[in-house]
Amino acid sequence: MGIFYQLHLKLPLLALHYNYSMSRIILHLDLDAFFCSVEEIQNPSLRGKPFAVGGKPNERGVVASCSYAARHLGIRSAMPTSRAIRLCANLIIVEPRHKLYSEVSKQVMEKLSGLTPLLEQISIDEAFLDISNISEPPARFALNLQADIKNDLHLPSSIGIASNKLVAKIATEVGKKSVHRSASKTIGAPFGLTIVPASEEAQFLAPLPADMLWGVGPKTFARLNELGIHTIGDIANWPQDEMIHLFGENGRELWRHAHGIDERPIVTERETKSISSETTFNVDIADERTLEKTLRELSKQVGNQLRKNDLAGKTIKLKIRWTDFTTLSRQVTLPSPVDQDDEIIKVALKLLRTVRKPNQAVRLIGVGVSGLGAPLRQLSLWDGRSERSRTLQDVIEVMQMKYGIKEDERRD
Amino acid sequence: MKVTVLQENLARGLSIVSRAVSPRSTLPVLANIMIASDEGRLRLSATNLELGITCWIAARIEEEGSTTVPSRTFSDLVNTLPADQVKLSLDTATQTLNIRGGTSTNDVKCIDAQEFPPLPVPDLKGAVQLNVADFKEMIQQVAFAASTDEARPVLMGVLVQVEKDKLTMAAADGFRLSVRKAVLGSSYGSFNAIIPARALNELARIAHDGEETIAMVVPKGRGQVVFRVKDVELVSQLIDGTFPDYHQIIPRNYKSRTLVSTASLLKACKQAEIFAREGSNVARLNIKSANGDMQPGEVEISATSEETGKNETIVEATVDGSGVLIAFNVKFLREVLEVVKSPNVALETGAANSPGVVRPVGDDNFLHVIMPMHLG
Repeated sequence: MGIFYQLHLKLPLLALHYNYSMSRIILHLDLDAFFCSVEEIQNPSLRGKPFAVGGKPNERGVVASCSYAARHLGIRSAMPTSRAIRLCANLIIVEPRHKLYSEVSKQVMEKLSGLTPLLEQISIDEAFLDISNISEPPARFALNLQADIKNDLHLPSSIGIASNKLVAKIATEVGKKSVHRSASKTIGAPFGLTIVPASEEAQFLAPLPADMLWGVGPKTFARLNELGIHTIGDIANWPQDEMIHLFGENGRELWRHAHGIDERPIVTERETKSISSETTFNVDIADERTLEKTLRELSKQVGNQLRKNDLAGKTIKLKIRWTDFTTLSRQVTLPSPVDQDDEIIKVALKLLRTVRKPNQAVRLIGVGVSGLGAPLRQLSLWDGRSERSRTLQDVIEVMQMKYGIKEDERRD
Repeated sequence: MKVTVLQENLARGLSIVSRAVSPRSTLPVLANIMIASDEGRLRLSATNLELGITCWIAARIEEEGSTTVPSRTFSDLVNTLPADQVKLSLDTATQTLNIRGGTSTNDVKCIDAQEFPPLPVPDLKGAVQLNVADFKEMIQQVAFAASTDEARPVLMGVLVQVEKDKLTMAAADGFRLSVRKAVLGSSYGSFNAIIPARALNELARIAHDGEETIAMVVPKGRGQVVFRVKDVELVSQLIDGTFPDYHQIIPRNYKSRTLVSTASLLKACKQAEIFAREGSNVARLNIKSANGDMQPGEVEISATSEETGKNETIVEATVDGSGVLIAFNVKFLREVLEVVKSPNVALETGAANSPGVVRPVGDDNFLHVIMPMHLG
């Protein structure tokens, strides 16, 4: 069974950097078709060809990233690989090498942090920089940065600059699209650069489709369309009270964002806040034993990560996606932090049994632990059972490390 | 029913029984308080089927009768009436209770008393007689150690053991154990009961007059305990099951015995808790034995939180034995120190992962065991 595991480290705010001067200059950098660009460096013969990094079509894989030649044929990231192949029969599928991408990403981020400490990495290929205090004009700074990344690391990138994070990120997206449209004969990375001058934010956003705003998902977008709202400008033109009335607190944010207002600071330092592991099944699973076995496996991975990082967590969360793609999560907070597989499994199974109706099929299942801290354990008065199980676990881990012994299904 | 009562008596009675009301029950009548004329007095009762409280108040009965009144409405209303006479009269046909006080008149829709679950009429013959002040202190020293985790119902109760003239109460939530003994005024037969901690806490709240006595009966084969104090009766279901044998977890020896001022250690714990509560509630106790005459023994209590910062307090101590570094859930430590009545307290410890024992100095009737937290 080709289960594709993902381990996530989720990140909370730790250090906020507010710039209280009149206006900030925020730069958003996005590496163009990052995974593909890295693959092209490794294998230059891929250059200019339609190819995609992603899972295999027969295993319900999806496109993680696709080359600009592939995009030209209508292939997009997050599209099922099987559909991508239908669009382009000779599409080359490259298996993802996440470790390699992380390493290259790290090099880029190191380069950025050399320019300013006010750096916020938001994903493997995206970052915000606060360049308010850099004397160089923003346009020249951005062009130099793009050139440096291209020359030193052979990676194309697009940049958006604005007075806040929201508009800067949208500027990058707009830049990528428009460059692509105007130069459609050349199939290559967009190298976009879009600068939105201060006080022109709302004007810049107005003609864009409403779903380019953060917080407008398909549901909200459909509801907005029903109201005759199609562009960001349409949202901005609605009375704020009306938006709040229709969408609650989210409405207030939407209205502010539509006016290009976003005061979120750059967040520089991050710390692990949760450790989780999830898997999407190749085929939907309704068999209880398979689900429970998978959950055990995932819990073990999370437990392993916790112990490796010398952490324990108080809150255990189960995530489930049903076959209709609705996703839900349920969590339980324990009186004292846990880092033992058995303890995580026990809670995860209990949660699974409460959320899942008999025979209900599952597409994705995951387990996570948050509320992390040092692994302090409240010892129990009677039964040294948890202590014995801890010792057993330690022994198993040592054996596995030493001899590569696979642990058999342990019976409770 | 036609009854006249004093507003303050009715308000007091309602505040006592309303604690047993079950506002969100599937049985609507459980959200009500039953009122009934009873031999020249007015009887008020409420129950959630696990706990029932009945209270009798002085009344002038003009016409006998009974009904059940929605608790919230009744209590809120009575609390706003002037401190004077309150007249209650029931229209039996419509089950509407007219409540008249001062210039205010109110009609409250009630539910027929027939629907109210019958509360047992206990036979108090042979009841164990307990002094209110003593019994309240016992409850206070023991009940807090009971568990709130419904997964182990037995631990949500307090084990009450009567053997001749000895009474022992014990509670444990899996991490700590509280045991309190007392000598009774007379001798009784032996029995054990696991009484829900919640019921005992309610009893302690109701019984405030230290001069009074509490009568306790466990009628055979009914799975209930009944307490009677003055004009109030409290009935509780007992918890079925076997209480774990706690004697074997009380350590028989220790490596160090630390004597400290109860107040100083309590204060240090409260300070540590301000920081510890942000994290896993852990406080480290570094117990240092005396080093010659120049350096007396001390306990260094410290707590650290990623967000808040850290704290360290030194408390003077007489340490008998070797020093030890041990970590406790500071909430557990604070809670036991709050119920220790003696000015000095002894903390007996073994290894960093063995139970610690707290004993009031000069009082052998109380002891408390706390499991430490394992340090990484």
